[in-house]
Amino acid sequence: MDDLMKDRIEQLVDYIMKKCLWQFHSRAWDRKDQNEGVLTKTMQLLCAEPVELETPADRCFWVDAVCLAEAYKKRYAWLAAMNKEEIKLLMQGLHERMDHLTITGSLNLELTDRHY
Amino acid sequence: MPYHEFECSKCIPERKKHAVIKGPGEDLTSALPLGYLNTIPGSISERGCAYCGAKHVIGTPMKDVIHLSHGPIGCTYDTWQTKRYISDNDNFQIKNTFATDMKEKHVIFGAEKLLKQTIIEAFKAFPKIKRMSIYQTCASALIGDDINAIAEEVMEEMPEVDIFVCNSPGFGGPSQSGGHHKINIAWINQKVGTIEPEIISPYVINYVGEYNIQGDQHVMMDFFNRMGIQVLSTFTGNGSYDSLRGMHRAHLNVLECARSAEYICNELKKRYGIPRLDIDAFGFGTLAEALRKIGMFFGIEDRAQAIIDEETARWKPELDWYKERLRGKKVCLWPGGSKLWHWAHVIHDEFGVDVVSVYTKFGHQGDMEKGISRCEEGALAIDDPNELEGLEAMDMLKPDIIFTGKRPGEVAKKVRVPYLNAHAYHNGPWKGWEGWVRFARDIYNGIYSPIHQLALLDISKDDIPTDKGFMTQRMLSDKDLSEEITSSTVLRQYTGKYDCLSELSKKTYPGFDPVLADAA
Repeated sequence: MDDLMKDRIEQLVDYIMKKCLWQFHSRAWDRKDQNEGVLTKTMQLLCAEPVELETPADRCFWVDAVCLAEAYKKRYAWLAAMNKEEIKLLMQGLHERMDHLTITGSLNLELTDRHY
Repeated sequence: MPYHEFECSKCIPERKKHAVIKGPGEDLTSALPLGYLNTIPGSISERGCAYCGAKHVIGTPMKDVIHLSHGPIGCTYDTWQTKRYISDNDNFQIKNTFATDMKEKHVIFGAEKLLKQTIIEAFKAFPKIKRMSIYQTCASALIGDDINAIAEEVMEEMPEVDIFVCNSPGFGGPSQSGGHHKINIAWINQKVGTIEPEIISPYVINYVGEYNIQGDQHVMMDFFNRMGIQVLSTFTGNGSYDSLRGMHRAHLNVLECARSAEYICNELKKRYGIPRLDIDAFGFGTLAEALRKIGMFFGIEDRAQAIIDEETARWKPELDWYKERLRGKKVCLWPGGSKLWHWAHVIHDEFGVDVVSVYTKFGHQGDMEKGISRCEEGALAIDDPNELEGLEAMDMLKPDIIFTGKRPGEVAKKVRVPYLNAHAYHNGPWKGWEGWVRFARDIYNGIYSPIHQLALLDISKDDIPTDKGFMTQRMLSDKDLSEEITSSTVLRQYTGKYDCLSELSKKTYPGFDPVLADAA
């Protein structure tokens, strides 16, 4: 991954960490679901691809994704110059980084509790 | 790890891992204090107990309930009327508190008879109230009184009443947060699903983790009513006992204080498939986004947008008047749990203040993850601080104001740092667009109060000026502002009423949309 891509991913991470709450559910399995649900739908919105809205859970991920995609488009003008493949690569990198910060690299000792 | 060691706590080396300073380039994998652990012996904590967390924070805001502590009188007295969670039934749950008043003889011979007698007496004394919550305390837990059995006996004898039992003794966790957890799980296990609520709108939510401090819930209910959303229950501020038994029929759980109420949302998701939407309702931009998300979930975002446009146009000039005068002021954000992350970024963005420290009395590492992420670099984050650490931090950081509870707040006043009550508020409500301006006004009044000119003088040694009067708030706050701002015809101070709630109770709403067959 080149430095430009890394820098852009950090900008996207910074926005999520400052403005969002969905990434901080209380257990590791929840955080995995949340990251997957919201970031996949955000990627689909940014790439103008269809978004599945079958279940209430889908709709809940989707509303967070809509707000995130809007904020990204508004704040980061460089997104408009990227094609779909580049956006997918960027969002994959973002997803990996978020999983690292909130799950695999997290220092939160409660993430692995078996119960809520 | 960028741990911060307080001079005053060098004799308690375990404390070192409970404070960090977020430095340049650091993230949550390198800067996170320990949290939600037993307080280290020798550290005089500011925490409450697990009984207090269950009863005082979450149970007692339920409005139509006799809240009975099974224990010594002090337990209930010390959790009575210390938080301003008002209700629309003449504040029954704030005005009255109930206890079995256990004594030494009950510890020896048992207190089950006493409990039964007290339950019946309480129902007879307040015949209109048919619901009760009983809270176990350390004393009744240690002697092994079977509260559930007594409650069952009474419900058999008095079929018109319903009783909830919360077994969360004071020792049942490191802090009040242990009690939050226990009452969440007890409520969903015992009561959710025992009533079928009437569904009157296609858009049905539970509003969770909202405690109606000085009317916050009333303000939010106004927005939900304007959007045609049915709020099936509020967990628990101004919430009714029976409405909370019907939580399983909502379409969406809207969660505010995840610290105290995420457990029940998680269980409702797991058991009933109701999704959890975390929101921030403090602040203009954050509340706007929260309402938009709820609107989008139901496909009625246009209704949210209409509210956002109207409220922003009405209150933005007043918010900005205060922002100009608060810009750059240093704040220690020292609440109990959730407000450290609800407020950390938005008071910086919308009031212009700089958060130089966050702390949490009873929060978990998850709360610190959110709070540290939202602070700017250099902020000092402290878990479960003691009084000396608070004093040392104030001496080091020189804050202009701190937002905290009344115990550490009074300590701050002694060293002449103004404080606002982050738990019960000063002149709330602080939610909603108007509420957020009221918060800004309280901060302004706290920082620029003329009393500090007097308080900072020591009459035993300082010269007392007799040839000039005190400077007013405006003289203090406007001295470095440009003419363009001080004479602006757009910006203005708060113009709302002292009582901003009574009008809400008189409002009428267009009515809910008809319930569609597949939405019921």
